[in-house]
Amino acid sequence: MTPKTDALIANLVGDLQPVKPLRFARGVGLAVAGGALTTLAVVALFGMRADLLAGRFDPVHLISTGLFLVLGMAAAVTVIVMSRPQVGNDHGGWIWAAAMVALLPLAAIIVGLGGGSDILSRESIAHGVECLVIGGGSSLLVLAILAVWLRKGAPTAPDRAGLLSGVAAGSLGIFAFSLHCADNDIVHIGLWHSGVVLLMAGLGRMIVPPLVRW
Amino acid sequence: MRVDEASLVRLMAMSQQGDRQAYAALLAECQRWLRRYYSRRIAPAQLDDLVQETLMALHNKRATWDSSRPFLPWLAAIARYRWVDHLRRLYRADECELVTDFAGQDEEPAIAARISLDRLLGILPDAQARAIALVKIEGLSIAEAAEATGQSQSLVKVNIHRGLKKLAHTVEKA
Repeated sequence: MTPKTDALIANLVGDLQPVKPLRFARGVGLAVAGGALTTLAVVALFGMRADLLAGRFDPVHLISTGLFLVLGMAAAVTVIVMSRPQVGNDHGGWIWAAAMVALLPLAAIIVGLGGGSDILSRESIAHGVECLVIGGGSSLLVLAILAVWLRKGAPTAPDRAGLLSGVAAGSLGIFAFSLHCADNDIVHIGLWHSGVVLLMAGLGRMIVPPLVRW
Repeated sequence: MRVDEASLVRLMAMSQQGDRQAYAALLAECQRWLRRYYSRRIAPAQLDDLVQETLMALHNKRATWDSSRPFLPWLAAIARYRWVDHLRRLYRADECELVTDFAGQDEEPAIAARISLDRLLGILPDAQARAIALVKIEGLSIAEAAEATGQSQSLVKVNIHRGLKKLAHTVEKA
């Protein structure tokens, strides 16, 4: 015990105010709400795919969109868990979802190299860039929600938390835009839609850690 | 006398609701726990500062504790984060305080701290452990460490950077 530390403790005790604990369910609820709001906004602004409106479903679209949704939720849940320090917390569950999503670009490369799709045509690139830009833009709300949540919390691995915030935001953002994008081509989805996740992961890794260090 | 986990949980729950008496008791107990925790990890002269920093972090982040979960793993995670941050600052400041801190003091805590550091350095590749030991513990300059190890100066810096990063990652994951 030292007088300085005792004085500090006295100050902290004097400064004490009741606090509302950071609840896991509230964090997840906010992330889900952000994803849902983004999806509604994308559908309202750009419209939903005609086949979905007609009740017809393409298997490639269904699987890829589902994978992005699962990865987005897995990463968002991990970020919420990371916001509360605890020795022994497992932060690795999202990796399996990411591994499954990684099959999309892998499949795209295999099909692309086999000449199964014209990936270098002007229209193909223009459409891809459109998905990248709007998908990235659709990710910003979730990214902001997760960054604010992490700032309120106490992440002990800010770099990883930033990366995962980007993965969650990008996955949920491109999930939302996939409800509009009419392209079922695995090459387009594997390269450009997965590109949104990579782009946002990089952005999250870059901008979130300085905001959430404590 | 050490307070048990159940009592700490109760004190922390009351503290979150604004009970100052409970909070004072909790912080006093946390201070004792942190002193024990850090005494084998850092130089004795830095102990007070790090304990105080961690108490402030605990205060600022008290909302992140969930009353349905145990208290000590939460405190340990905060303590470890502040410790890693302390190591990083040591590296960035490019100071060699450890060597002077160890000199002319009671040898036992210094030896304990050294044993703990050696154990940590044991998980690193030799080149990284040696660069950190020479510069951050023995107090050599980058140039002297480069000469002693036969590595270039930039490689010494890279090895220190990578070694500390790996240490931080290891303790964050543990």
